[in-house]
Order: sequence, then structure tokens, then C-alpha cells
Amino acid sequence: MPKLPAVPIPPRFLPQPPPPGTQRGRPRTPLEKGAEAGKSAVDWIDERTSLSGGVRWALFRKVPKGTNWFYTLGSATMIAFLNQAVTGVFLAMYYRPDAGGGAYESVRYITNDVFLGQFVRGMHKWGSSVMVILVFLHMGRTFFFGAYKYPRELNWVIGVVLLILTMTMSFTGYLLPFDQRSYWATIVGVNINGTGPLLGPYLSDFLRGGPEFSATTLSRFYSIHMLLVPGAIAAMIGAHLYLVAKLGTTAPPWLRAKPEPELVEEQL
Amino acid sequence: MNQREKEEYLREYSILKSQGKPFFPYAVAKDGLMGCLVIAIIIALSIVLGAELGPKANAATTTYTPRPEWYFFFLFELLRVIKPPNFVGLATIGVPTLAMILLFLLPFYDRGPERHPLRRPVATLTGIFVICAMAYLTYLGANAGPPTENDIPAPAAVLAQGKPAVSEFYLGRSVVAQSGCEACHLIGSNGNNGPGPELTKIGDRIPPQAIARTLVNPTEPMPSYGGSGGLPAKQFSAVVAFLSDLK
Amino acid sequence: MAPTRRPSKSKYTADRGVPGAFEGETVTRRRFMTGTAHGAGALATMGFALPALAFAIGPIFNNDTLGWQTIGTPDMFPDDNYIPAVIVIAPGIGEAGNSTVYIRARNASIDTTPPTQFNRWIAISTRCAHLGCPVRWVPASERFICPCHGGVYDLQGVRVGGPPPRPLDRFFTRLHDGYVQVGARYSVNSELRAFSPRDPGEPLDGIGQYLYPSRPSVRI
Repeated sequence: MPKLPAVPIPPRFLPQPPPPGTQRGRPRTPLEKGAEAGKSAVDWIDERTSLSGGVRWALFRKVPKGTNWFYTLGSATMIAFLNQAVTGVFLAMYYRPDAGGGAYESVRYITNDVFLGQFVRGMHKWGSSVMVILVFLHMGRTFFFGAYKYPRELNWVIGVVLLILTMTMSFTGYLLPFDQRSYWATIVGVNINGTGPLLGPYLSDFLRGGPEFSATTLSRFYSIHMLLVPGAIAAMIGAHLYLVAKLGTTAPPWLRAKPEPELVEEQL
Repeated sequence: MNQREKEEYLREYSILKSQGKPFFPYAVAKDGLMGCLVIAIIIALSIVLGAELGPKANAATTTYTPRPEWYFFFLFELLRVIKPPNFVGLATIGVPTLAMILLFLLPFYDRGPERHPLRRPVATLTGIFVICAMAYLTYLGANAGPPTENDIPAPAAVLAQGKPAVSEFYLGRSVVAQSGCEACHLIGSNGNNGPGPELTKIGDRIPPQAIARTLVNPTEPMPSYGGSGGLPAKQFSAVVAFLSDLK
Repeated sequence: MAPTRRPSKSKYTADRGVPGAFEGETVTRRRFMTGTAHGAGALATMGFALPALAFAIGPIFNNDTLGWQTIGTPDMFPDDNYIPAVIVIAPGIGEAGNSTVYIRARNASIDTTPPTQFNRWIAISTRCAHLGCPVRWVPASERFICPCHGGVYDLQGVRVGGPPPRPLDRFFTRLHDGYVQVGARYSVNSELRAFSPRDPGEPLDGIGQYLYPSRPSVRI
């Protein structure tokens, strides 16, 4: 009996050749399947966002010769900021911005009763000191290396904005524990703003939410500390990093470039 | 920086960059290690020093001595050293605003092509001067004791004289601290330097009788601490003993 | 030669040679759409930004006076020494809304300001006129001493040392049903002339009172 010709199978249903590097005929191990799944998930995202180009641009750019430990101060500042952001979010889960006693009570509760409360509050408190130091060290490095000069002027300006925002964070965060130190530092700080001619008195009224320190003052500082300034800092860090990646980090100023020998024009 | 210098810099930089290493993983590894160090320092500070919480805010206090966080000490001290009342605005708003404007505009007035710190002596010296000034002000601010306390220890000469002299020294010290002397006189690290003269070494300059005379009949604007309205006899002699022991 | 004036541009797009212009058209469609995009965006942003901003700065224009607070009887206060009393300056937040005032009876030999029914007792605020730290009355030296930046004041509350730009603030006082009451705060210049209350650090002598205007929230 003559055999009927087999039904032609569309090519996509034919058995696929195994990916390179795997042994023909052997079923894939779970590990290989997992790696495969990871790759395809990344592919799925990249197909829809085209992010891989940007990531490659940011990560595999070259940093100039001579880059040393001084150049880690910026990212160290960012790590300190991330520490502030994360510990801050979790402190906010227990904190109550209530000037009538609730604020102090909640901080006392965090410090004395919550599991790891004093540790997390300590990390936030000392993290702010460390961040301020790192900001100044990073700025000092930029200043002494002349790294603010062409073409990085704009990045210096953004950096100064970040410095001011960091100081604003420490000033507003200072009030939140609502102990004596917080209260009087805020009184003095607001009055310092008030000594600006003409607009100063209105500015301090705005900061306090009235002519005297009142219940609104704490809420205002809390909102500035929690929402307004962190958002601005995150946005500014984004701009700062974009410019760093775009313009490249500077080389140490004492380094002179030696062109590749094959590029040097022969002297006749 | 003119166009030629800008192009020279860009060319130089592109050569240095092409000779460098990729950001990932070489620079990132350094950044990561530095990040670990930073977090380790923060954790160590948190564990060792903890997070203290002072007494609850009380706006009616008249005994509390407000002090800022350490990184605002230089501003705090700036407010203390600029004494004339007409210059308050200068210390609070003027100097900080000027500093901020100078900082903002730095790349726009310092446009020279030179980047090496040793070949930019003005910029480098200014930077070092500002850092030293801030460090010095921070140091002064950290050591500024309130004008209502005093922590000068009894000098060896007093300790050698035995217990009565030491207890009179400490009685005199507390009377001086509570009588407001340090409002106008600097004694050790406590008190205000002016309008009165510094008293840290007053025993060297004036004999005890003269100190007692000055306390009774002072020159304006110092009030009299002697006579019927002044200090009781025991406290008065303790103050004289304390001041003449300051050598 | 007569000065040649450039012919003024016609307001009609057709006359200016804009391609595809309609007769009688004065604004091109592209211009109109650009304007609409900018205008609508600005309008929508203003729609939420302006009310939010006004909401935040509202307290600047709000004037809530606290009224008189009884602090004691007339025989409690001598005329040569200050007695502290705690009053409320911001209600509803407990200790953080209190303030201490130092009170003595008016002494005609010291106080040269004309006597009125509101200064039979002299009530001095404990907020330093430099930057608002809590000053303390030291009877032995008859001085108010600020622990922060070195402000020192005499019995009248007038500066004798340090950086404060004006004397310590005062409060109105009155006798009501046999009790001494403390009212609103007011600021004084170095001649002890009364002004609407200012914040610390704001001088009132010379041009100071115009550089640091009184605020609607506490104007008296």
C-alpha cells in the first residue's frame, strides 16, 4: 500500500535546533530553564521600553584614566540619601505630626518601645550628619579639581541646589522629634529667615503658619520634610546623574593626555 | 575660556576617556565599596551613640540653653561674633546669601582654563581659607558654654591649699555663674566676650582688694554687687576668692 | 531724499503672503493652535497651583487675637524686681504654646513712658529680641541674659550688650476685677516707643520700622 505523503508541517512547529552551547537531545536543566525565563522577561520589557540602549550608555561608558577614590564621594552621598529615604519612610509609619504632645510621644515610643526603633532612628539621625559631611567633601573635591569648569557649569549649579535642599532637609527634620532642642532651633531658624528686609517677616509667618509657633508649624515642617524637598532632591539627583553620564567624570587635573602613538603625526 | 581652549579641553578629555576603563564594573565596584563603608559608619554611629531624645518642647522655659546641630555651629558662632546690633541682618541673611550667590556663580566668574589646584593659587587659597574659617567657627561654636554656668576646674594652687579653699572656689564659681557676670565677661569657655573685659586670667592682673573694690564700685554699665543691695558677705568673699584664683 | 518708511505690515494673513491664507483671516491656524496649547496648559496649571498657594499662605492674613489672660493680683508684683508668669501664646498645643513673661509694677522713678491704663505693670517677654532664645532674669546683676548669642538687657529690657537690635518686647497689662491681666504683645524701639509686634531680629529704630513692616496677622 502506497504511503500517503506526510502533511507538511509549518516551519514554526518543527522541532527547534537547540540554542548554542546546549547538548543536542538532552532536556534542559531547570537552571537553564530559569536563565531562559529571565532572559525572555528582560527581552519582553526591552521590546516594550527600549531601555537597554540607555542602560548600556550609562553603565558601559568609559571613565577617564586616573579615576581614584575621590570620585566615589558623589555616589557615597547618594547612598546616604537612599539611607535617609528608606529609614525616613519607615519612621513615618510610627510618627504623628501632632504638636500637642503626640509628636514627642510617638518619637519616644519609636525610641524606647518599637523593635529596632532606636537603631532605625539613630540611622536616620546620624545618616543626616554623614550626608552633610559627604556633600561638603564632594563639593570640596569638585572645587579643588576644577571640575566645575567648562563643560560642567550647569552640573555645579545643580549641585549647589542640592546642597541647599540638603540643608533645608536637616533644618526641617530637626523640629520633628519635638524636644527642647528641636523647638528652640526652629524658633531661631525661622527668626533668621525673618530678618530679611521687607519680605522676611511675611516669610517667617508663612513658615510658621501664623504669627507664633503653633500646631500648624509642625505639620508644615513635616510636609516640607516628607514630601516637598525629598521629591525635589530626587529630581535634582536625576538631573545631576544624567549630566555626569552625558559629560563624563573629569580626569584628575594633574593628568596630561598622551595620544596614541599611531595617531601622532610624523614630524618631517 | 575661549573657543580654542574649550576645544583643546574636549580633545584632551576624549583621549583620557578613551584610555580609561568602563564605568561598570570598575568604577561601580569602588562606589559600592565606598557605599558599604558609609553605611557601616552610619550603623556604627547609630549603635554606639544611639538616638537621644531630649526633654519635651517647653516654650515657657527660661533656663534652657538652645544649641543647633553640629553642622550649623559655624552659622551659630557667626551670629555670636558679629556683635553690633546694626549688623544682625548681615550675620543672619547677608553673609549666608552672599556666600550662596558666590557659590552658585562660581563657574561663571572663574572661567580660566586651568584646572590644577596648584596652578590656581587664588581659588585654592580661598577654598582652604573658607574651610579653615568654617572649621574654626565650628570649633568655637561647639565650645561656647552658656553664660549661666561655669565649668572651670579648681587650679592646682587652690587644690594645694586644702578643702576650705576648694569649696570656697566652687561656691564663688556658682555665685558668679548665677549672678549674671558671664553676661558681659568671658570666663574660660563660658560667657560673652564683651562688653566687659575677659576674666579668665583676672587674678594675674588685679589683686583681690582691687577685685573687691571693683565689685562694690564698678564703672558703668556694670551694676554694684556690694553694699546693702548686693551679695551676702559669704557669697561676696567667695566671688572675690574665685576671681583672684583665676590665673 | 525723503526718509523711506517700511510699509506697515498688514494685519491680514492674505496680504502678508502666508500660504493657504483665507480671505479676512488675521491669525494663522498654526499660531492659533500654539496659543491655545500654551493658554490651556497655563490655565489648567493655574487652576490647581493658585488655590494651593493661596491655601498655604492664608495664615499670613489671619488675625486671631487671644484676649486677656489673668496672671495674679496686684500685690504679687513689686516695683524693683520681676516675677515670672506663664501665659498662653498659641492655644491647643500644651507646653509648646506657652511663654513666660516677667512682670513688675510700674516704677515712676525708672519708667519714663507716660502712664496709661495698660502699663501700670511692666510685662517683659522672655523671647530675646535677637533671634528668639529664652532670656532669663538674673536679680543679682539686674540683667536679662540670653544664653544663645550673647544678648544682655537691663531692668527696662533695653539692650546693654550683645547683638539684639531692639529692647525686649512687652505686653499690655491691665487691672480687671481686682486681677492683673496680660494682653497683646507689642514691640518697642530703643526709646521705648510702642510698635505693632515684630519678630525677633528686626530693628525698629530709624529705617528699621519700614524695612520690617508689621504683619496683618499680629497688627495692633
